[in-house]
Amino acid sequence: MTTALYTVGVLARSVGLTRSTLLYYDRIGLLPPSHRSATRYRLYGEDARVRLETIRTYRGVGLGITEIRALLGAHGGRTATILSARLDGLNHEIARLREQQRIIVQLLKNRTVLKRARALDKRKWVQILSAAGLDEEAMHRWHVEFEALAPESHQDFLESLGIPASEIATIRVWSRAHPSSQATEPSSPRRRRPTARSSRPAGGTR
Amino acid sequence: MTKQPFGKDAWVEMFRVVGLDEAMMGRWHHEFETRWPAEHEKFLAWLGVPETDIGRIRSSARGTAPHP
Repeated sequence: MTTALYTVGVLARSVGLTRSTLLYYDRIGLLPPSHRSATRYRLYGEDARVRLETIRTYRGVGLGITEIRALLGAHGGRTATILSARLDGLNHEIARLREQQRIIVQLLKNRTVLKRARALDKRKWVQILSAAGLDEEAMHRWHVEFEALAPESHQDFLESLGIPASEIATIRVWSRAHPSSQATEPSSPRRRRPTARSSRPAGGTR
Repeated sequence: MTKQPFGKDAWVEMFRVVGLDEAMMGRWHHEFETRWPAEHEKFLAWLGVPETDIGRIRSSARGTAPHP
């Protein structure tokens, strides 16, 4: 196994590392040269080449110098422990990345789902609300609530129904100027009181 | 949608405020699902409802009688 001898440059090239990396590994005692030439050049034997391949493999799975040093001097159970710890680390990292991926997908969906493909047009939307039992008065209350709760989303939603900008503006002004809850209950402040309001007879205006 | 200021819960509350009870909301889902299933799905996704819940809501909407 010790017949072939490599210089730093030749060995570095053979495993795709730089010369300075090998010099660094020598300096920290991770991979000392097998021999020195008469002129003090570093010479590496086959065993050093095999050791360097192993080091490169461990680096490739994200292990640090300290762990690699421990692995190279370790046997059996200790090796498995270090590698298992790294595997756990990778699994946590993957789970974290998956969660980030999921959140990003969700954010993109929320952002674009209505803009990219219009969910419904105005006529269909009104049909569904009517079928559920909402009359004109209740639909007006719905606009008022939407405008008060989330004006930007109200705007986005109306756009998604394909309603022209001028009509949207009219609807939103109408939603602010004539809150139906004030019309029916002049003394009650415009507040979000779902329990109080929903306790009124829901069908009273129908 | 530039923001997600409310999700499903706020939407449900908004419907309650304007006078929809549970039965009416069930009917609303049923109408939405039977008339325009793809749009129903898109709408629920926009509200931020998780995919598994979307499947559950839609299958239950298909089974809900329109006028119980």
